[in-house]
Amino acid sequence: MSPPIIHFDHATFGFPGVVALEDISLEIQSGEFVGVIGPNGSGKTTLCRAVLGLMAPMRGHLRIFDCACDELRCHHRARIGYLPQKGVVDRNFPVTVLETVMMGRYGTLGLFARPSGKDRKIALDALAHVGMEGHRDGALGHLSGGQQQRVFIARALAQQPDVLLLDEPTTGLDITTQHNVIELVQHLHEELGLTVLLITHDINMIRSRVDRLVLLKTRLYAAGPPADVLKPEILSQVYGKDLVITDKDLVIVEDYHHHH
Amino acid sequence: MLELFMYDFMQRSLLAAAMVGALCSLIGVFVVLRGLAFMGAGTAHAAFAGVALGYLMGWPPLLMAILFGLATVWITGWVEEKGRMKLDVSIGILYTATMALAILFIGLMKTYNAEIYGYLFGNVLAVTTEELGIITGLSVVVIGAIVLFSKELYFIAFDQEMAEASGVPARRIFFLLLTLIALTVVISLKTVGAILVFAMILIPASTAYQLTHSLSTLTWYSVLIGITCSVGGVLISSYWDIPSGPAIVLLATALFFIAVIFSPKRQRQSLAVT
Repeated sequence: MSPPIIHFDHATFGFPGVVALEDISLEIQSGEFVGVIGPNGSGKTTLCRAVLGLMAPMRGHLRIFDCACDELRCHHRARIGYLPQKGVVDRNFPVTVLETVMMGRYGTLGLFARPSGKDRKIALDALAHVGMEGHRDGALGHLSGGQQQRVFIARALAQQPDVLLLDEPTTGLDITTQHNVIELVQHLHEELGLTVLLITHDINMIRSRVDRLVLLKTRLYAAGPPADVLKPEILSQVYGKDLVITDKDLVIVEDYHHHH
Repeated sequence: MLELFMYDFMQRSLLAAAMVGALCSLIGVFVVLRGLAFMGAGTAHAAFAGVALGYLMGWPPLLMAILFGLATVWITGWVEEKGRMKLDVSIGILYTATMALAILFIGLMKTYNAEIYGYLFGNVLAVTTEELGIITGLSVVVIGAIVLFSKELYFIAFDQEMAEASGVPARRIFFLLLTLIALTVVISLKTVGAILVFAMILIPASTAYQLTHSLSTLTWYSVLIGITCSVGGVLISSYWDIPSGPAIVLLATALFFIAVIFSPKRQRQSLAVT
């Protein structure tokens, strides 16, 4: 078997005085579709920032691709297509859909290089992959939330990445759009052979689609096929007692802590 | 009116106005998109304090202006990055502190120095050949840097964290942008003055912002508006014999309000509401 594409080795991440992720050991193989789940504040976004090389481990090691990426600013970043947690896009920000997707080429091109016709073609291909090629000259701010997510996924694809890293891609979207976005991600995983790391609250949405689930709450509680991870005795450690798992297909994780 | 163009001083000031107009409106695109408007205003006052110190000590005023301007942008940039303080607070403090320094330096001078007030209010009609040379040289440097790093500058203006995540050295590009803002302010000091320079940076890009949804179109509109307003302002100022700085800025402001009224973006919004 080839070496893992992402390898956490007893890695601890945080800020001075705050430990966000502790003693994480995890290997992700090339071509895997991995879902990362856990409650709010469990370190999911920290995991994202770590994989992007925006945070170095305080202890332990993190290797990405074939380089020891304990240090920040490593060229590997351009090989990871990243969809950040959805911020509010200023509706008036003057940028077209194609201009947004072209930005995906900038990191890959490096300083001083100017985007060529080839880069433009890559960006247009990426737009076609997400079904947004008809909006290329439209204003990003005029699109719906789901369409904007598609454009941002296209920007990640324009990097021609090996890994697609998505941080809560369905937050703030309506149910139908949520399903469409997840289906698009699954489709890209299958068609382009991308390694996908998808961070989400919504276990139901992804449980039937991912190869493995990673359960986080500061520590890594479980990593394995969904059937092995979604067990009451494992989930209750992370989510507390207010948790119901019914039948085989449905997991209901209810967050009661507001009522206490 | 045509005979105005025959005078050397008029040719110099038109050339200086066109260059400063182009430069300010070009850097202004990134200032407006990255949300650094207040920082530029603070820089202008810091640069003026540098000029005052230069005159007080007999050091080259432009060099002191550059040093003060750079110190201000780097400190505020560093503070923003560390997240220690809200940006408007740190700039607000530096803004007033440098202005206090400027007043102190002027107060310490034994004699009244009219030249200093030229930096405060600007007078493009008094630009000398030597100053035109400095403006040209620095403009080439700043515009060259903007063109060279345009894709990175656009990216950090849109989303700095995303830019960093995809492998752009976003931090260094941000400090490059801050440095270019400081240089632009200093270059423009003599022509439009410390008080009005920021209008020249802010207004053309904000006007263009009303008119388009494309980054590249925005940039071209901004530069076009910037040059038109500076050159138009100089012509108005010499024709009607009014101060050049206010003529340029008021012309730009008028254009801005016209753009707001006729903005396709706003019309779209009002349609959506009804």
